[in-house]
Amino acid sequence: MKRSICVSIAIFLMVCFLGPDIIALQTSEPEELFFSSNQAYRQGRFQEAIDGYSRLIRSGHKDGNLYYNLGNAYFRLDQLGRAILNYERARLLIPGDADLNFNLSYARDKTHDAVSESQDLVGMTFFWLKDLSLGELLWGFAVLNLLFWTALLIRLFFKFEWTYYACLISMILWIIAGTSFGLKWYQLNTNNRAVILEQEVNILAGPDIRDTLLFKLHAGTIVHYERSEDGWSLVSLPDKRSKNRGWVKAEAVEPVIKETFLNKCIIPSMRNP
Amino acid sequence: MKRSVLVLLALFQFMLIFCPARADVSVSMRLDREEATIADSISMVVSIAGARESDSPPVFKGMEDLDVTQGGTSSRFEVINGQVNSGIDYTFFLQPKKTGTFEIGPVEVTVDGKTYRSNTATLTVVKQPESSGTDRGPLFLTARLSSIKVYVEEQSIYTLKLYHQTRVSNISLDLPEIEHLTFRQLGKPIEYQSFYNGRSYDVVEVRYALIPSEEGICGIEPSRMKMTVAQPMRRSHRGFFDDPFFSFSTGRTMAVISEPLELNVLPLPGKGKPSDFSGLVGNFKINSKLEPNKIKAGESATLTVLVSGSGNVNRIPDLKWPEPDHIKIYADEPVLKVKEDAKGLSGSKTMKWALVPEKEGRYKISPLTLNFFDTKAHRYREIETSRLSFSVLPGEVKQIQASTDYSNGQKIEGHVKKAVKELGHDILPIHTSIKDLGKGSIVRPGGLVFWFVFIGPFFIYAVVFLGLKLGKKSDRSLATLTAKKAAKKFIRKCRQDGLSSSDLALSFRTYLNERFDLSLGSLTSEEAAEILKSEGADLDTARKIQSILKGLEDAVYTGKGQKACALGEGASQLVRQIEKEIR
Repeated sequence: MKRSICVSIAIFLMVCFLGPDIIALQTSEPEELFFSSNQAYRQGRFQEAIDGYSRLIRSGHKDGNLYYNLGNAYFRLDQLGRAILNYERARLLIPGDADLNFNLSYARDKTHDAVSESQDLVGMTFFWLKDLSLGELLWGFAVLNLLFWTALLIRLFFKFEWTYYACLISMILWIIAGTSFGLKWYQLNTNNRAVILEQEVNILAGPDIRDTLLFKLHAGTIVHYERSEDGWSLVSLPDKRSKNRGWVKAEAVEPVIKETFLNKCIIPSMRNP
Repeated sequence: MKRSVLVLLALFQFMLIFCPARADVSVSMRLDREEATIADSISMVVSIAGARESDSPPVFKGMEDLDVTQGGTSSRFEVINGQVNSGIDYTFFLQPKKTGTFEIGPVEVTVDGKTYRSNTATLTVVKQPESSGTDRGPLFLTARLSSIKVYVEEQSIYTLKLYHQTRVSNISLDLPEIEHLTFRQLGKPIEYQSFYNGRSYDVVEVRYALIPSEEGICGIEPSRMKMTVAQPMRRSHRGFFDDPFFSFSTGRTMAVISEPLELNVLPLPGKGKPSDFSGLVGNFKINSKLEPNKIKAGESATLTVLVSGSGNVNRIPDLKWPEPDHIKIYADEPVLKVKEDAKGLSGSKTMKWALVPEKEGRYKISPLTLNFFDTKAHRYREIETSRLSFSVLPGEVKQIQASTDYSNGQKIEGHVKKAVKELGHDILPIHTSIKDLGKGSIVRPGGLVFWFVFIGPFFIYAVVFLGLKLGKKSDRSLATLTAKKAAKKFIRKCRQDGLSSSDLALSFRTYLNERFDLSLGSLTSEEAAEILKSEGADLDTARKIQSILKGLEDAVYTGKGQKACALGEGASQLVRQIEKEIR
């Protein structure tokens, strides 16, 4: 009797706590939608493919490959801005994907504006951050966390020289992995990169159509998004040496990450993909 | 001490004899100066590297107008990074018989039956400077220009000589600052001995190349040389510390100035000046070569052009090459080498081009020209490279096409790799794998598994750590409690009136048994002291206990064991002391 109660409690706890963490139940609907979108892409019905991929993303399937496919579909429709936007979003999730990096590089080559993003000291020191996603860094840190505490535990019982070095090495790796994870998390939370969506946009001195025209930007150019006011967005060029900043119509630019990153489980939310 | 010195000497001798010398033997020769007066004695050192001895003394060439006297021989032996280098230096003194310019050398040396030759050196012997009639004293500075009339950008050698008969040190030089005139030091200062007005001097010589950038009469103000002149201390009698080894001498700062000079800078003539004149002044030559002179289409040949000479070499221009038809030209970065020696500035510029012919045929390379102003001929000159040509055979592609026809019996000899040529551009396809369609990972930040993975190992470690700590603490506290109890019991016993020696001895044994968890039936004073020492009690305390117990033993074994003893108070104090020391 007691045993059956214990088993029941254990199952209840597993359902309560582990339930949300276990891979989502495989339903046939998303798969069908995914396949039909792929089919539409292959047959040249790119708008249909875009609709399909967007529906999947909105329904919670926030996968880097979906953003990549969506970027490809926009590229085929000559919407360079939206293509680059989705490639950038895919790069947050699958930064090491070779196809993605090739396509993004190719799409960037097609942009008109020669705007370069300057790399900061942290980015140069922790050079591996750009090639690893937050999830991969998280797993790496988890494994090293386990190794580190295990090494310390072993050292409690066996105070040999090798346990000392094992603790030391695992601690160094643990610190590097932890710092990398923290920095990546910070980078994503403070990522204010945005993409110009329209073929050509005017950057004005103020949030009014009558304000002075400062300069023009073209589709696919990366800018830094600062804030929005009355349907206008304040943007600046990512090159730190350049002081160029100004106002652009809000619909002409879209941030790569729109809301707090971790609140959405490493998945950027989409307004109108 | 003597023995160790002898061992070291023997070891050194052993190394000298048995260590393999460097296999490469080379002979070099150097003079202490390139210009001397007829009264001077010039030092010449012939260095043989890679051998510890030569079969015979060096044999000279070009010594007909010089008297040669052997100065001495010195051996070199050094071990650097395990590499043994040895050599021998022969010093000779040359005495010129007449004035003129002499080519000295090469010196021939025979080592192990093989004859080696050295480099050559040029020595210019001039007349002794005419006596000014006045004695210039033991310290003076002279200045001289190699040429007092030069063209713009032509160099004149400015030579400063410090003549001194006393020891000088900390020499510093202030050169005059003259507009449109650049001073460039030529090599390091050299030191030698020379004669002036019939007196022997030590000479420090330093040379500069003067390069004027504007025409006109240019006055060169005196140069000023500051130094510390040694003055030996005067003592009433010569003692042990008057030996020069101890250098007890005082220095006096002195400055000497050279005579002012004048340089007449002539403008470059306008007549015959090429329209593309680069400003190169001096004496230059140009050489070219093309390698290989027979290639296949698509392969490359290297054209090398070397411009060398003396003068303002830094003005040698980068030569431009008109691109001929059907040849692609890739220019290499030119390499400029500047040499600064006693004769002035000289150097070379090497320019290279890779020529890649696209078609087969015979190609002629049109010569490259260079203009400069020849200061010796006093006119502009144009020099050009020799006419070169090379043959281009059909390319590899054609060979392969021909060789695929096996009926011709031709063979494919090799495969030539070519750069990948991009024919089109496009993006890569979509990802279609179903496994890509995830809804997230098993572990999400904030989930139970996530926290278990991060906090779990730490939690387990913390529990085990605390468990071990608490376990140790409880063991220690139990032992402390037992010790306290035993001590209290003993002290209480000691306070009893009329405590006999045998009772006290028994109580102490009981205390030790309880305190240290022992089960001793009997206890001698030595054993008690040993136990206390081994448990960490102070040596003095252990000795005191030993002496008390000894007293008790004596009382028991002499029949006074039942009598009251006065050692109780002392024993209880010692036990308190023990409790303080053993915690």
